[in-house]
Amino acid sequence: MDEPIDIWFAREILAHESALMRYLQRTWPQREDIHDLRQEIYVRVYEAASRSRPASPKSFVFTTARHLMTDRLRRNRVVSIEAVGDLDELNVLVDEISPERHFGARQMLKRLADAFDRLPDRCRQVMWLRRVDDLPQKAIAALLGISEKTVEKQIAKGTRLIANYFYGDSSAFAAERKSDAISALENEHEQQQKD
Amino acid sequence: MSNSKKIERTAAIWVARRDSEAWSQGDQADLDAWLEQAVAHKVAFLRLAAAWRHSDRLKALGAGLAIGSMPARGDWTLSPFIDRRGADATPSAQTPAINPIDRGRDSARTKTGDSDNVARAPIRSRSKRLAMLGAAGLILCCGLAVVLMWQYGAAVQQAAYRTPLGALRSVGLADGSEATLNSDSAIGVDLTRLERNIDLRRGEVFFKVAKDPQRPFVVSVGNHRVIAVGTRFSVWRDGKRLRVVVTEGVVRLESNNAPGLESRPTTLLPAGSVAEVDDANLRIRQVALEQATQMLSWRNGYLAFDDTPLSVAAAEFNRYNRQQIVVIDPAVGNLRVGGNFRWSNTNGFVRLLEQGFPVRAKHSEDHIMLTHR
Repeated sequence: MDEPIDIWFAREILAHESALMRYLQRTWPQREDIHDLRQEIYVRVYEAASRSRPASPKSFVFTTARHLMTDRLRRNRVVSIEAVGDLDELNVLVDEISPERHFGARQMLKRLADAFDRLPDRCRQVMWLRRVDDLPQKAIAALLGISEKTVEKQIAKGTRLIANYFYGDSSAFAAERKSDAISALENEHEQQQKD
Repeated sequence: MSNSKKIERTAAIWVARRDSEAWSQGDQADLDAWLEQAVAHKVAFLRLAAAWRHSDRLKALGAGLAIGSMPARGDWTLSPFIDRRGADATPSAQTPAINPIDRGRDSARTKTGDSDNVARAPIRSRSKRLAMLGAAGLILCCGLAVVLMWQYGAAVQQAAYRTPLGALRSVGLADGSEATLNSDSAIGVDLTRLERNIDLRRGEVFFKVAKDPQRPFVVSVGNHRVIAVGTRFSVWRDGKRLRVVVTEGVVRLESNNAPGLESRPTTLLPAGSVAEVDDANLRIRQVALEQATQMLSWRNGYLAFDDTPLSVAAAEFNRYNRQQIVVIDPAVGNLRVGGNFRWSNTNGFVRLLEQGFPVRAKHSEDHIMLTHR
């Protein structure tokens, strides 16, 4: 977990997620694929980097994205190339996409606070008690009168949502929420079974 | 749900599980195995674990806020760490944190400020009707301000309690909590609608705190603050020394040795903790709950010793009685004693010492001197 490659990945690659997400959203017509694409891009980047680190992580991320999209278009012809537009459009200059996403400490905190504020009530409360007040999960469960399993689930959810907003951008977050709403039924079912 | 989302959810559960106290080596092995299964697992986990680590920075937002008090959404802008004017502004980390009561007053002030604007604007528009509306608005806002002040700032209970030497006293507080004062102890109680503040001025007090997550229960002892939400614990102040014994729930111990926000160590004390603070040193022991409770048996009139040096036991008795035990020989002070004793019965304790140990006692009006026999 604390291997150099992991640290490198978190610092050099995740920092570009919001630019990457905007790029994907602009160029790929199927919104529901984007989450998948992002994962696939990260997998490819991570695998390549474990052999040798790219000199410019940022252009490497976007090159990987472009290759992946091209591969997918060619492999499954479900989406016609016309639908995406000229493939050359994928060849945008990386630096036009967005400025660097390395935050200063204060910007980072501001962004985190914004992300935190977007959490649903219960989730926000649990994350506050855990992250700010530093109470152990067990104590939070006792304090709120909920099961430890529920605390764990809220933390899992909070982590996911914060990551999306913190690394990604707000529109990606909104899209995530929408798809969350679609799978809400499924979730509720889960909830009932587990609680 | 797409496959990548399923992986992300699983990774999130791993992050949350790893954070729990129940995390074991076996769990770690399971996680490692899952991570080895696919690079997709690894990157999803890395991403969430990094976000989780970053979220630790949120602590800066809680600076100056008592435990359990969470600001409303968007209310961060009041945090000294977040600047509304943008990132270029001069750092203001030196700004003292705004405490909840001040925050209440602040919002009240803002309300009155707004109402000024409401009142002025209509005059400029020269419409009488609007002016009246404005006046109504002003009154409404003043009312709101008063309500806010009342809700957040107003005192609910302010009182002081003390016990003389050799007496115990239990007092019920307005919030339903209970404080048991040990011999020769004194507290100041200040309950507001936003916080519950107890000032331990001397001695030892056991608290049975009524649960109220909205209103943290804060015991101040000099530079230290012991903070609870709903729990049972005792705090003993002996000059500059401080001892906290927790018998239920979790309390947080904060010390501000230096004025600056960064240099404030915070320690969490779960049930069974015995924390001792001496100048800048903090020592925490985890003991069995039974033993922690035994340390508080003074509430029933007893002192419980278990392999305790006689010098320490004597000091314990001296907290309750005017007639003080004085240990003359260090060798006597190092003798180990055990058992339960009524703290009012110093003479009985000393008699037992004389019978069981090579100790001689010499009684005077104010002292009992113990020497080696």
